[in-house]
Amino acid sequence: MNDLAHIAFEEQGRVVVARLAGEVDLSNAGDLERSILGAVPNTAEGMVVDLSVVSYLDSSGIRMLGEMAERLKWREQRFAVVAPEGSRVRGVLTIAGAEAVVPYEDSLEAALDRVRGRG
Amino acid sequence: MRAALRRTGLERRDLLSMAVLGAVYGVTAFLSLRLALVEDNVTPLWPPTGIAVAALLLFGTRLWPGIALAAFIVNLPITPSPLAAAVTAAGNTIAPIVVVWILHEVGFRTELDRIRDVVTLLVVAPMGMAVSATIGATTLLVSNEIIQPEYWQTWSVWWAGDSMGVLVVAPLLLIIWNQAHGRYPSPKPIALLELFGVLCILVVVSLLAVTADVSVLFLVLPIVGWAAWRFQLWGAAPAALLVSSAATWAAVQNRGPFQGEDLLDRMITLQGFNATVAFTAFFLAALVAERARSREALERGSAELEVRVEQRTKELSDANLRLRGSERQLAEAHEMARIGRWEWDVGTGDVTWSEEMFRIHGADPGAFPVTFERAMAFVHEDDRTRIREDVEALLAGRAKNKAPDIEYRIVLPDGEIRNIHARSKISATINGAPVRLLGIVQDVTELRAFEREHRIADTLQHALLPASFPDVEGAEVAARYVPAETGLAAGGDWFDVIPIGGGRVALVIGDVAGHGLEAASLMGQLRLAVRAYALEGHPPGVIAERTDALLHEVAQDEMATLLLVVLDVEALAATIVSAGHPPPIAISADGARLLPVVSAPPLGLGSHGPFPESTVMVDGGATLLLYTDGLIDRPDLPIDDGIRRLLAVAEANADVAIVDICDGVLGAMVSGDASDDIALLALRLVPVEEGSLTMRVPAEPESLQQVRRRLRRWLETADVPKQVRDDVIVATSEAVSNSVRHAYGPSSAWVEVQAALSNGDVEVVVRDRGRWRPPRGSGGRGIGLMRACMASVDIEQGEDGTVVRMRRPVRSAVAT
Repeated sequence: MNDLAHIAFEEQGRVVVARLAGEVDLSNAGDLERSILGAVPNTAEGMVVDLSVVSYLDSSGIRMLGEMAERLKWREQRFAVVAPEGSRVRGVLTIAGAEAVVPYEDSLEAALDRVRGRG
Repeated sequence: MRAALRRTGLERRDLLSMAVLGAVYGVTAFLSLRLALVEDNVTPLWPPTGIAVAALLLFGTRLWPGIALAAFIVNLPITPSPLAAAVTAAGNTIAPIVVVWILHEVGFRTELDRIRDVVTLLVVAPMGMAVSATIGATTLLVSNEIIQPEYWQTWSVWWAGDSMGVLVVAPLLLIIWNQAHGRYPSPKPIALLELFGVLCILVVVSLLAVTADVSVLFLVLPIVGWAAWRFQLWGAAPAALLVSSAATWAAVQNRGPFQGEDLLDRMITLQGFNATVAFTAFFLAALVAERARSREALERGSAELEVRVEQRTKELSDANLRLRGSERQLAEAHEMARIGRWEWDVGTGDVTWSEEMFRIHGADPGAFPVTFERAMAFVHEDDRTRIREDVEALLAGRAKNKAPDIEYRIVLPDGEIRNIHARSKISATINGAPVRLLGIVQDVTELRAFEREHRIADTLQHALLPASFPDVEGAEVAARYVPAETGLAAGGDWFDVIPIGGGRVALVIGDVAGHGLEAASLMGQLRLAVRAYALEGHPPGVIAERTDALLHEVAQDEMATLLLVVLDVEALAATIVSAGHPPPIAISADGARLLPVVSAPPLGLGSHGPFPESTVMVDGGATLLLYTDGLIDRPDLPIDDGIRRLLAVAEANADVAIVDICDGVLGAMVSGDASDDIALLALRLVPVEEGSLTMRVPAEPESLQQVRRRLRRWLETADVPKQVRDDVIVATSEAVSNSVRHAYGPSSAWVEVQAALSNGDVEVVVRDRGRWRPPRGSGGRGIGLMRACMASVDIEQGEDGTVVRMRRPVRSAVAT
């Protein structure tokens, strides 16, 4: 994996939070997907990917997020993305019409609530 | 008076000399006349003539007027008329002049120390005096002073008197003068005493002889001889004067042996006696003097010879010493240069080897008798034929007396093979028959081994360095490697340029300690290691750390410096790691500066880092210069001076084209041969184009980041608003992603992106060599993004690739 993007993981209860920084494109999307999915144990309730500080996300990134959602759904784990209103990622997700595939929220709290089934 | 003197060529002191000469002449003449035999004016001893001859000899004939005047005055009272006196005086003057003139003509020397001078005087004086005698006697006859029968008597007395005056008086005056002027050695006082004694005895004997009734004049001769033999001229002259005077006196007085003779007989006896005495005395004196002189010359000669023999002997022995010294030095030089010398007498077949020749052949000097065949036995069998052919050519005269230099191998008894460089020539008789062959050989084994290793190391070094660099988007790169000229030149220094994706390039330069094959091969391994770690995507600090560990692993004792600069061509940021390497230089419009580095120890020490990174920003258009210490490290200058000079040189070369910048810097920094390897790597950032953007990137995912950054900078420069900027970047990145995804094979390895502003639109064209269609379904999200971001997207698929054309108005907040 190149150093275009960095990930930091933390656990919020039984939810794994992956904070992404940098840029996501064709060059690192696959690697990121494997890293992030590998960090989610079967015991976890679900996962949140925080894209608040990601400066660029392309169609590969959207596909990555979609596939993560698919996999977790298949594992009966929930998934949400943090993409605050006005951020670069939110713009891309919006114009790509990704809302149906990638569930995104404005804040980490909202995303966590959604994963915990309270949203 | 003065003018008159000048006209005659005379000087005042000549006049004085004439006066003194005249006075002496006159007084002597007056006294001599008392011995007159004929009338009152003919005397049998006339000293004035001797005085005149001596004076004219010593002081020059120009003094004649003194003599003429004095003679005239002396003759005036004793001749019948002034005319007769004048004529007589003329005769008295002419005679000495004639004598002196003849003596000068025959090379007479007044020192009288040669027999020929004495003989000349004894012959010439009477001849000359015939003049004065003839003139004087004739004058007396003409003026009736004498009668015809008396003429010959008168003539003979006159002639005898004048002659004796010259013979007896002139030598005495001459030797007194010459003695006074130091032309003879000074006599010892004891000798003077002996001379005085001899002269006393001579006086007594003379008086006895001239007064005795019996004719015993001859008794004086032994004593005269004694004086002449013992004291040479100093004995002869006074002795001759004394004896002549005594005899003359006796003749005048008509006494002793002259008793009862008539005048003519007396004159004949007297002149015969006087001439005999004078001749004996002076001849003997000159003979002895000459003998003494030749003995002296002989002694001087032999002494000189002895000195010269001694000198020559010393010179010879010195030369001998020097020769031995230089022979020893030559032998030492031969030993050091491993040069052997040989000689082959063709006639006898004898071969002579120098001591070093034996040593080169692995033997003690003189260890065996050498023959041609014995020497050939040493030669490697593959080289023997060649040597035999050369020797035959030499002997047959085909090789023009000098064989071309050859190189061959010899095999020592222990099997060691040595390389020999040989040079030989022939010396022959005039008709070309060979007499002997001689030559020198040099053991060049070490030299050849050295050259071989040098060549291999040089080849290896060049093979291990990158032959060309990949294109680096947004930058130009150039590099030079200069091997050291001395010693085992090549090896150790390296550089590399590695594009690592994302618009970044790793610049590498390093230096393995040492030279030669080992350094060169280790360099090759390190270069690949750094390249591999860099391509794996490690940050510079990690690359250095891993390379350090690897070097420590593969070569325990080796050490290398390393400088890594990872340059983000778009962001203009350089991340630098230095392991004991000099810092890079950045040249920009503001001048040249050293980029700050946090220096870590060289690689290979097993220090395990850390290798701290430092990041600096560089100007767009800046040139980075990476170098090895061979460029700045000169034995005659401190290293800080070298860096200062390099900064100045770098600044001076700021505007030079990148392909020439390395040569420019090397030319200014290195004068003459490099003493250490030098590697130099230069990278220049190409400033962003104002009007349009064109870039060509590898069709790989890592290029996307680079495309986005360059496009962002260009859009910023073109004052495109942020919203539009972001949308154009997204769309372009998606287009390039499609190209990358569908790239296959080498022909589709590149993607070209062009961006321009036209009619208020941003226009982007993405071209590739692949064939792809907009996929259907969800996979078409990229196309969807492109269409969403741009006002128009046109995808055109042709035979040789796909072209995506997109437009977006600059001043419209919404894409569609």
